[in-house]
Amino acid sequence: MADSTLRPDLSLVLERITDGFFALDAQWRIAYINAQARKLLHAPVDPIGTFWLDVFPNARGRLFEREYHRAMRDQRPVQFVEYSVTAQLWLEVKAYPSADGLSVYFRDVTPRIEAQREVERTRRRQQALIDFGRSALAGTTYDRMLADAIELLREILEASVVDVYHYDRLAGTFSIVCSAGWDEGVALDPARPPLDHVAAAVRTGEPFVSSDLRIDPRARALAQLERSGVLSCVATVIGTTQAPHGAIVVYHAQTRTFSVGDVRFAQALSQSIAEFSSAMESNRLMTQVLESMADAFVAVDADLCITYVNQRMAEYWAQTQSEMIGLPLSTFTGTLPHGAYVLKQYKEALRDRRPLTFETEHLGRWHETRLYPFGAGVAGYVRDITARKTEQDRVLGLNVELERRVEERTKQLEAANKELESFSYSVSHDLRAPLRAIDGFSQALLEDYGDGFDDRARSYLDRVRRAAQRMADLIDALLKLAKVARTPIGFSNVDISATASAAVAELRDGEPDRTVEVRIEPGLTASGEPHLLHIVLANLLGNAWKFTRHTPHPQVRVGKNGEGEFYVADNGAGFDAAYAHKLFGAFARLHSGDEYEGTGIGLATVARIIHRHGGSLRAEGAIENGATFYFTLPEVET
Amino acid sequence: MSKPYILLVEDNADDIELTQRAFAKNHIANEVVVMRDGAAAAEFLFDENRVRARSMPALILLDLSLPKVSGLELLQKIRANAATKLLPTVILTSSKQEEDLVEGYRLGVNSYVRKPVDFNEFVEAVRQVGLYWLVLNEPPPPAGGGGM
Repeated sequence: MADSTLRPDLSLVLERITDGFFALDAQWRIAYINAQARKLLHAPVDPIGTFWLDVFPNARGRLFEREYHRAMRDQRPVQFVEYSVTAQLWLEVKAYPSADGLSVYFRDVTPRIEAQREVERTRRRQQALIDFGRSALAGTTYDRMLADAIELLREILEASVVDVYHYDRLAGTFSIVCSAGWDEGVALDPARPPLDHVAAAVRTGEPFVSSDLRIDPRARALAQLERSGVLSCVATVIGTTQAPHGAIVVYHAQTRTFSVGDVRFAQALSQSIAEFSSAMESNRLMTQVLESMADAFVAVDADLCITYVNQRMAEYWAQTQSEMIGLPLSTFTGTLPHGAYVLKQYKEALRDRRPLTFETEHLGRWHETRLYPFGAGVAGYVRDITARKTEQDRVLGLNVELERRVEERTKQLEAANKELESFSYSVSHDLRAPLRAIDGFSQALLEDYGDGFDDRARSYLDRVRRAAQRMADLIDALLKLAKVARTPIGFSNVDISATASAAVAELRDGEPDRTVEVRIEPGLTASGEPHLLHIVLANLLGNAWKFTRHTPHPQVRVGKNGEGEFYVADNGAGFDAAYAHKLFGAFARLHSGDEYEGTGIGLATVARIIHRHGGSLRAEGAIENGATFYFTLPEVET
Repeated sequence: MSKPYILLVEDNADDIELTQRAFAKNHIANEVVVMRDGAAAAEFLFDENRVRARSMPALILLDLSLPKVSGLELLQKIRANAATKLLPTVILTSSKQEEDLVEGYRLGVNSYVRKPVDFNEFVEAVRQVGLYWLVLNEPPPPAGGGGM
């Protein structure tokens, strides 16, 4: 046979080459096999003469068998690369046919093929990550994203099972969110999954990689996994160890050496999920905020196309949110009579990159729109301010009405004042003339015909004259009171002490024979109309003067008490406190004219002056125990 | 030229009577010409013959509240007319309204006397006015006419 005819030197060469070599005879029996081939293909000690497929049963039905037959049939060499299950290597095979048989050379190209495959896997992993990111960007749900991730892991990492766990940071517990593959030959109780590897990944932040759970010392607690038919796994954290969201665990039913690229792919995918879930969470929060707002919200991009509207905005336009998104803003503003104005505002906010606010009115509703530059576009918040506007209008209307009424009242008041003036004039002029006539002719009667009168007749005429005089006094007092009401108050600083002293001086001049002890606190000041305040003090001091006439040691004091009230106090006749409230009415008198003369108008005048200054007035007293009048005035402004 | 006379412009008959009685009681013998309203008084004062004759009153006693032409209006006319502008004119009235006082003095009245209700006081007031203006006071030289 050919192998036995091989020259020893050739045999020597074939034994030395690093390639595996064997030769088959025409009947497909092993004619020669070198040491390398024997080793790589786990050949029996002496296979010579044995049918080749009995020696290499794994080659049956595979590329090896097909290619060798093709070479013999065509009598042309073949070359191919195929994975040898027996050698567990990638082999590059060259087979040369001849009439006598087939010579087969092969060598281990596993590193090259693995490198090529790794390059291809890397490319696929990268593409997968890009696609995954793209689909997440295009808008997806969290569940959809997880399902996509699981699908990718199953495809790229050829995983049998993929679990996604959620980590509850507060409780420190894991729960399965999403899972796939358990029904395909591996069976694990999903209700009670072993968690050591998941916890390790989350705790350390490093992926937990086990190529063979059977021999992994860390995996003792994972015996359940092994029983489930899982032999290898990778667990990676979603998020960071500081803020873990959960973990992804990839299981294989076979042992598997995970390449760095495999592990990185799982990590990258987990990271993407973490990022997108964070983004989605912020998005969800943002959406919640936007949806819960009372404002209608719209976001537009740089082309003024709607990128988001909240429910309120959609309701306003009687659309759904999704119907509006993507449409140009002008689709909606175009239907408004002031739409061009609104659009211009958006363009301005976009161009100037600054917030702006504007108000619009449409069909009786007022809206306030606030625009904020946002990303490359603009966010608009629209608020119904009809109520506020209506209120504003109402207030404005009220103000106008108020002004009108004030003006009206002022006119009425002016007219009333005019009337009062002419009335006062008539009173002062026309009422006095008859009184003068009464007095004058009574006197004339006395003078011309008095000889015929007895004492009683003379006394009657006296009474007529006194009554006329008293009425004249009353008229003068009333006029003074009316004048007080009409005098405009010009506030200036008034020296109350000096004013009181001046009034006392006048009283002393009027009754030089009387001795009244007067004490005036120095340095009293107030803000008011000097002339009117003089009337106040003259009246109050005049009363004190008058009502101490029958007091043995008359005393009058002027001062200011702790409550900031000015007072004029005397130790005179006083009054019955029960009637204190009657003191300040016109013509009100608590003493008969026989006891103490007076018109009863003085205190009414005082009260009017104090009130016109914005002050208050009160009186304290007791019969035969003196009277004190308290009053307040605006303080001097410093 | 006749004895100096007084022009009393007063519409109230009682006041006229009482004023004349006061003059009498004070022994003021000058003639008192009474005009019952402002219009009549103006007609009297600005009468051409009277102006020519220079027979102007030595004193005008002027009430303010008068029918037709008021006292202040008449005062304004008196002061506006060359023949009467220098005539001693005293407002004798019931009013002591500030406005009347201010306006009276502004229009150039020589004196402003309020009539007291008490007749004795009134008599005293008339006495003093008469004494002052007819005796004590040097009257202005006669104005108007061609006799200068």
